[in-house]
Amino acid sequence: MRNLLIIISILAFFPAMAASAGPREDVIAQLETLAKSDDANFSGFDAARGKKLFSAKFSTGKPETPSCTSCHSTSPKNAGETRAGKAIDPMALSKTSDRYTDPKKVEKWFRRNCNSVLGRECTPLEKGDFLAFMISQ
Amino acid sequence: MSNKKQKIRIWDLPTRIYHWLQLLVVVGALLSGFFAPEWWLGIHVWLGYGLIALLVFRIAWGFFGPEYSRFSSFIFSPKTLISHIKGIKEGKPLHFFGHNPLGALMIFALIAVLLGISLSGLINLGGVENQGALAGFVDYATGDIAGKVHLFLAFALIAMIFLHILGVVVEGKISKSNLTKSMIDGDKPLLEGEKAPILRPTLFVPAILSIAGIGLILVVGSVSMSKVPASGFIAMPISQTYQSECSDCHIIYHPSLLPKNSWAIMMDDLSEHFGEDASLDDETRDIIANYLVRYSAENWDSEAANNLLLVDKEKPIQITATAYWKLRHAKIDEEVFKSKPVRTAANCEACHSDAKTGRFADENISIPKPKKQP
Repeated sequence: MRNLLIIISILAFFPAMAASAGPREDVIAQLETLAKSDDANFSGFDAARGKKLFSAKFSTGKPETPSCTSCHSTSPKNAGETRAGKAIDPMALSKTSDRYTDPKKVEKWFRRNCNSVLGRECTPLEKGDFLAFMISQ
Repeated sequence: MSNKKQKIRIWDLPTRIYHWLQLLVVVGALLSGFFAPEWWLGIHVWLGYGLIALLVFRIAWGFFGPEYSRFSSFIFSPKTLISHIKGIKEGKPLHFFGHNPLGALMIFALIAVLLGISLSGLINLGGVENQGALAGFVDYATGDIAGKVHLFLAFALIAMIFLHILGVVVEGKISKSNLTKSMIDGDKPLLEGEKAPILRPTLFVPAILSIAGIGLILVVGSVSMSKVPASGFIAMPISQTYQSECSDCHIIYHPSLLPKNSWAIMMDDLSEHFGEDASLDDETRDIIANYLVRYSAENWDSEAANNLLLVDKEKPIQITATAYWKLRHAKIDEEVFKSKPVRTAANCEACHSDAKTGRFADENISIPKPKKQP
């Protein structure tokens, strides 16, 4: 009873905390808003579509990087390696727990890597699917 | 009169030890200088310090040593030199206990060349490698010239060593004596009816004092001089922005490895960055660009900065496309670059443990053996 009172009082003082479950969820919520405005029929992100995107080969981007797997290894649970030889932490949330919490960082790497691999920006739907896949892993 | 041939002590033990030690040091220095890989530089340099120590001994002995080690005993007049040469031609050579006039010339020439080699090596080490006693005092250009002098003197030394051996062989034949044996046991036989000359003895006290004095000056002097920071390097703050933004994908290249124009061109279009989009927001990009341009190759006098100023016309932003980079890595098997742990020629740190500092010292190179790719 006493604990409940404390929780209620905290929630009363910090209404923002009640509205947001965490920075990662904020990133997803932001993408959901954008996906909805792109497509009225949007019905949520899909990890299976994200998985396809992760493994797909593209010929529209830069020849050095035809796929996400060129650098991130073929499994999100494995560490990757940049073309310059630097290790990349696994993409799967279960392996790298602090991923996808900084919206600026998420945007930076989608901007760079979508352009490198696909030769264009990714849509909010693609980004959301991709994150759904990585978070599910 | 006894039949036993009388001998005279020509070369005392210290002189003989000096002679053979110098042979070892010189051969070692020549081999390490011409044939050893770069990372043997430390050994080459220590052989050089050893040579300097031997020369200090020899010069002190030249003033205070026993008769035939003293310079004054083998400074001959031109007249004596000419009659010595005439004597050789006619097969009736003049007899000398110590160095003959031609041999004496060779000894002075060898000492001069060895001093020159030591000094030019030290200047080269200080100017080009930014190491040793002169690192804080000699610029790259001077060090580079000294390196050429060092090489020229090394070739001259090789020629002189052959002449010296030829001289020993010829003199031995003419005088029917074994000069090499004399340099081992120290003695030469007296000719029939020849009287042993009166010899000046070694003046041990002045000899040891002068060796210790010169040695002390050289050691204390070079140790205190080498504390002066290397002239090729300037103080540079670490840019956290550069470190954190760029090290996600690759090693942190020292700003001295490209001229400012190259950094400017590179930072102008990060969306085409060696086959990838590495774009940044404008603010971050400007911070990094300003840092790289501020500390570009033009601001350093190191070996790498001096040589990497000349970039490839087609690929001005690629360090591995410069003529200098290609020249210095020409002997390395392509397999080393391709396979783990190096992976790519852009991974300087895989072999140069001091790549971060922009030094790229010869001793800090270690080329890993390529591992087979799984």
